Amino acid sequence: MRKLFVLFTIALALIISGAALAQDSEPQYAGLDMDLSGITIRMATIGGGQYEAMYGSIPVFEEATGARVEIVALLDGFAIDQKLKLDFATGAVDYDVAWDHTSFVAQYVPFLEPLNPYFTEEELAQFSPAILDAATINGNLLLIPRHADVSALHYRADLYNNPDIAEAYRAATGMELTVPTTLEEIDRQARFFVQNGYSTYGYGMAGKEEALTGRFYEFLFASGGALFNENFEPTFNDAIGVQVATLLREWYRDGILPPDTTSLLWDGDAQNFCNGDVALKLEWYGWYSYFQDAASCPRIAGNFGLARGPIGFDNPGATHTGWAGAHAFSIPAAAQNKQAAAQLIKFLTSERVAYEEAQLGFLPVRDDVWARLIEDASRSDVELNRIRLETARIQINEDFRTPPLIAEWIPFSNIFFPQLQAIILGDVEPQAGLDAAAEATRQLMADAGYYN
Amino acid sequence: MILPSFVLILIVTGFPLLYSIYVSFTDYNLLRPGSDVFRADIMFRNYERLINDPIFRRSLGNTILFLFVTVNLEYVLALGLSQLLARVTKGQGIMRTMLMIPMMFAPILVGFQFRWFFNAEVGLVNNALLSLGVTQTKIAWLVDEPLGMIAIMIATIWMNLPVTTIILLAGTLSLPSEMYEAAEVDGAGAWQKFRHITFPMLAPFTYIALTIRSLDVARAFDIVRMMTDGGPAHRTELIWTYVTRLAIEDSRFGMGAAMSLITVVISLFFTVYFFRQLVKVRIVQ
Repeated sequence: MRKLFVLFTIALALIISGAALAQDSEPQYAGLDMDLSGITIRMATIGGGQYEAMYGSIPVFEEATGARVEIVALLDGFAIDQKLKLDFATGAVDYDVAWDHTSFVAQYVPFLEPLNPYFTEEELAQFSPAILDAATINGNLLLIPRHADVSALHYRADLYNNPDIAEAYRAATGMELTVPTTLEEIDRQARFFVQNGYSTYGYGMAGKEEALTGRFYEFLFASGGALFNENFEPTFNDAIGVQVATLLREWYRDGILPPDTTSLLWDGDAQNFCNGDVALKLEWYGWYSYFQDAASCPRIAGNFGLARGPIGFDNPGATHTGWAGAHAFSIPAAAQNKQAAAQLIKFLTSERVAYEEAQLGFLPVRDDVWARLIEDASRSDVELNRIRLETARIQINEDFRTPPLIAEWIPFSNIFFPQLQAIILGDVEPQAGLDAAAEATRQLMADAGYYN
Repeated sequence: MILPSFVLILIVTGFPLLYSIYVSFTDYNLLRPGSDVFRADIMFRNYERLINDPIFRRSLGNTILFLFVTVNLEYVLALGLSQLLARVTKGQGIMRTMLMIPMMFAPILVGFQFRWFFNAEVGLVNNALLSLGVTQTKIAWLVDEPLGMIAIMIATIWMNLPVTTIILLAGTLSLPSEMYEAAEVDGAGAWQKFRHITFPMLAPFTYIALTIRSLDVARAFDIVRMMTDGGPAHRTELIWTYVTRLAIEDSRFGMGAAMSLITVVISLFFTVYFFRQLVKVRIVQ
């Protein structure tokens, strides 16, 4: 009887410890350790597409803390940037948590609450140090990252798995058809696919606003160029800038790009790839689950591949593309409930919520979530799940390049992208267009006090 | 009783206007606190830069062209439509209601809808043209010049045609029938009756419609924003899209205010012109 009791006790202990281990292996929420009864936390955040899935977890936070969360604005990234700027300037901030982005945060510096007092070192330890560094201005941490993204090469796998196409390519160019690793190869292959009718378009890209400026930026730095020198004098109108602008212009002229490229933003551009009309493109990982969804993209789901961004034109300093950024949350300096806002941010960027959001295809910014995703992918039947994470991790470690972290990034982009559009459409020669953009940029930067 | 009304009007319209004028003489940037301080050395800088800004000149030219074509074409179409409607004897109520449908849409929805119609890849217009064999290639309606401008004009006219039509229809129905009876006795045909009676008698309604539409045409902003946002390469840039980009997106409120004031002056010119014409016509009649 005594023996039985001991065995039972051991068995029970094993079950309990097993359950405890299982409990430990579950991703955990954070920010639930404070009683916030009676407090309403208002949030202005990004909406649309997959961004809203995260907000489905908010009832858990409300249940645990007693707080009520009210989403007062749900807008796309550019619209919410405009809202924040207007609200900050006019003192109309009536929310406690604001969506933010590494590309935009430098504009909002005087209007944001430093987050250092609200987050312990332990709480920040799991986040990517590179992103936290980028978000720390004058020693103040101004945002907590939600997810990151970096552009990767997306390609139609059927074009590279077809022996007839490979043979035709060999006959036409004398080269093997492999996934391109340089901009020159992309150019050559994109033209081949279009000219031989294998793909409607050889390359796809969003052709307006910051989306166009950013794409030029990554082709430029990958080719050894730069937007600005160390004194913030524009340098994009040098020979490398002209080389990149000329490439885009020739792609458009020769039908490598869709005819409405300059009116496309992210969604329209992604739709072309989803439809199977585009052979190659640099695209955010965030679209992964959409492209893999057979109901949404029947022609591309299971039929595309991912690779590290190509190396730019063969110039000194050439490297891989890797335009990158991170979505995030900030607390406005004028927020009414800053501590409660910090708790909500801790919850929304917790391991559990971040892990759930990463299931949609977004790239995590936490090491613990990365570890889980890699473990998940090792058990997946879909090989691309594993390739995606391996490639993304390499890119985030080695190729991650944000735009210049200056308050003038968007005003600069608004000067630059129409000029680049004019070059692409053939309204102006590449050198003349870039020179005009450089002149206007110099005035912008001078007004902002960069040359004093 | 006049004083409270006067004070209210001053607060509602006068203060924002005066503040805009003040801001237009400063380097006010929304995200630079304290930048709205007046400095004599840069007080005319915004205006000087605007005069020398080729994009501003282009957007001004585009706006005048857009205004001229949409208002006039809309008027011609509305005139024809109102004359046809005036002759309808059965089901006029249903037809008038149907006519009002475009007005029920928010401009932003109209812009969204027409952007889809004119989409190069999946748009209704290109699909129809390709199916009918009118064209063999996809037309980039919102990109090519002058198709982009034509597309936003079509959307604007579609949405605003009912307003002008209703004004002209009301005018047509209010005309005295004696003049038409006398003209018929004199053997006048339909065209002669329209040419010598209807058209001149509708002049006050014409000027009212043109005044309202000239001032109201800025409502097309949402349509343009949704369809082309002034692009590509400023090809469809109108004053309103350019002001928004400078003032809201780039936070350059001083520059935006200067540009807005220039447009106010232009709008005032049109308003005064049309009202003078209206008064002239009423005196003659």
